[in-house]
Amino acid sequence: MSTMTALLLVLLVLIVLVGGTAGLKSYLSILINFCLIFMAAWLIAGGANIWLIAVIFIPLKLATIVYLGTNEQKLADQAFLSSLLVTVIIVLLILGLTWLGQAFGLGDQDDEDLIGLATAPGINYLLITALVAIFSTLGAISEAAVAMNAGLLELLRQTPTIEPAAYQRSAQQMGQDILGTAINTILFGFFGSNLALFIWYLRLNYRLNKLLNDKLFVQEALVLLESFIGVLLIVPLTTWLIGWWQNHAKNHQQKITADQTRPSQESREKK
Amino acid sequence: MKLTKKKTALLLIAILGIIVTFWAYQHPLGKGTLAQVTQVQSVSHQAETDQYQNKDTQFEQRLTLRILNGSHQGQTYQVTNDYDASQLINQRYYHNQRVYVQVSHQGKANILTAKRDWVLILALTVTALILVAILAKKSWLILLSVTVNCLLFLVTLRLDIWRNGTATILLYSSAAIVFATVTFLIYQGWRRKMAIMLLSTIGALVIAFGLSYGIMRATNEQGITYMAVAYATQSPRSLFLGQTLLGVLGAVMDESTDIVTSLSELWQHNPQLTRRQLWHSGLTIGREIMGPLINVLFLIFMAAALPMTILYLRDNNTISYTFEYTLSLGVLQSLISAIGIVLTVPIATLASFLLRPLTKEAQAQ
Repeated sequence: MSTMTALLLVLLVLIVLVGGTAGLKSYLSILINFCLIFMAAWLIAGGANIWLIAVIFIPLKLATIVYLGTNEQKLADQAFLSSLLVTVIIVLLILGLTWLGQAFGLGDQDDEDLIGLATAPGINYLLITALVAIFSTLGAISEAAVAMNAGLLELLRQTPTIEPAAYQRSAQQMGQDILGTAINTILFGFFGSNLALFIWYLRLNYRLNKLLNDKLFVQEALVLLESFIGVLLIVPLTTWLIGWWQNHAKNHQQKITADQTRPSQESREKK
Repeated sequence: MKLTKKKTALLLIAILGIIVTFWAYQHPLGKGTLAQVTQVQSVSHQAETDQYQNKDTQFEQRLTLRILNGSHQGQTYQVTNDYDASQLINQRYYHNQRVYVQVSHQGKANILTAKRDWVLILALTVTALILVAILAKKSWLILLSVTVNCLLFLVTLRLDIWRNGTATILLYSSAAIVFATVTFLIYQGWRRKMAIMLLSTIGALVIAFGLSYGIMRATNEQGITYMAVAYATQSPRSLFLGQTLLGVLGAVMDESTDIVTSLSELWQHNPQLTRRQLWHSGLTIGREIMGPLINVLFLIFMAAALPMTILYLRDNNTISYTFEYTLSLGVLQSLISAIGIVLTVPIATLASFLLRPLTKEAQAQ
C-alpha cells in the first residue's frame, strides 16, 4: 500500500471516530475541494477562459467548505454570503496588487524544474497567479466567516433583545479572538508552504534589496498579506450583515404585530 | 470631530505608508542601480508554436532607460526586451516603470528585475490600516506575535542550514515547541489556561506526527516523490518533514485555543458539568471547526503548486505523472496536517479536564 492510501484511510477512520457524520462530511469536503482544484487546473490547461473558471470555481469552493463544514442551514447561508462578499473585495485587491507588483509567472528559482517544459504555453500567467492567490485565501476567509457567524448567531439566540451598542461590543470581542488565531493559522501555513524557498534565499545569501524585489518572494508575501486582509474584513462585514439582517427581521416583525393590533399602537411603539 | 487615539493612529499609518510607498517607488532601497523606463517602442510580434502545439505570441519592445542613481546617473540606454504573451518567465515593461539594471563596462545596460518593493510596502500599509481600524488596541498583540514568529522562523532556518538538513525532526519539533510557547505567552499570558493550550498543542503534534511518521515508515514511504520538492537545496525529505511540522502548527494552536477557551467558559457558567458532558461538548465544538480548518491548510498547500500543474498538463503530460510531480507532496502534507487537526479535538478536550481546579478556586473566592 502506498503511503498516501494509508494516510487517507487512517484520516477517514479518525475523522469518523471523532466527528461522526459531521466528520464524514468534512472528509468529503476535502475530497471535493481537491477535485475542484484539479478540474480548474485541467480546464485552464485545456484553454478555458480563466475569468470564467474563476467565476464558476470560487463560489463552488466556498460552498463546499461552508456547507459541508457546518451543520446548520442558517449558519451556512450566512457564512456563505459573508465569505462571498469578502472574496469579491479580495479579488479586486489581488488583481490590483498583482498588476502593480508585476510579480507573476515563475521565478528564476524554477528554472531547473522548467527543463523540458514549454516556456511559452499560450496561457495568461498574470491571471493564473491572481487565481492562485485567490484560491489560497478562500480557505482562511470561509473559516473565519463560519466562526464569526456562528458566534454572532449564538449571541443573538441567547440575548435576542440585545442593544445595538452591546451587540457591537460583543462582536468586536469575538472578532478579536477569531482573528488572533486565524492569523496564526495562515502564518504557519505560509511558513510550511514556503520553507524550501526561504532556505534557498538564505543559502544563496540574498540581500534584503534583492529579496524585496524578487518575483517569487513578492508573490508569496502578497498572498500572505491578502489572506490577512481577507480574514480581517470578515469581522466588520459579518457584524454589519447580521446586524442589518436582525434589524430587518425586527422591523418586519414589528410591522406584522402593528398591523395586527390597532393602528394607534403603531405610533406608540415607534417612540 | 475629536481625534481619538485610534483615528490618530490610522492617520499616522496612512500618511507614513503613503510617503514611504512613494519614496520606495522612486528610490532604491539599498544598493543597486535603478532606472526609469522613459520610452517604450513595440518593435515586432510574431506567432510561435512549440513542440506541444502551444500557440503563443512573442513580442519585442525597445525600451529607453534613464539611470536614476549611481555613477551612471542621468545617462540613457537602449534595451530590447523579448516577452511572450503568457509572460510565464519573462515580462512586458511599461512606460515610467522602475527597474533595476546592471551597466556593463562596454556601456550596455541589462534589466535585472522590475522594482517591486514599493508594492509590498503599499500592501503592508493597507493591512496595517485595516488591522488597526478593526482591532484598535489589540492590534499590537497580533503585530507582535507575527513579528516574533517571523524572527523565530528565520532562526529555525539558520539552524537548519547550519545542521545542513540533518536532525530535522528534532530541530523542527523543538522549534514548534518554542513557537507555540511564545505565541501562547503573547496572546494568553502566563496562566493555567495557557499551559493547558500549550499541552494540548504539543500533545496533538507529537501524537499526530508520530502516527503519520509511523505510517510513512510502515509503508516504506512508498509513492512519496521527494524529487518533486520544489527549490530543494538540501535533502528534500528533510524539507518535507520540516514544512509539514511547521505548516500544521498554527492550525493546531488555533483549534486548541478555541476548544480550551470555550470549555473553560462553559465550565465557569455551569460548574456542575460532569466530565462526560464536557467530553461531549468538546467534541461538538471541535467537529464544527475541524472541517473548515483542514480546508484552510489544504488550499494554501495546493494553490502554490497550481501554476506548475497547469504547465505540466498543458504540455500533454498524463494526469498521474502531473499529479505525482506537482500535487502529491501538497496532498501528503495536507493529509498529515488533517490528522493533526482531527486529533487535536479529543486531545484539547482531555487537556481541558485539567481546568477544573482553577474554576473551583474561582468559585470559592
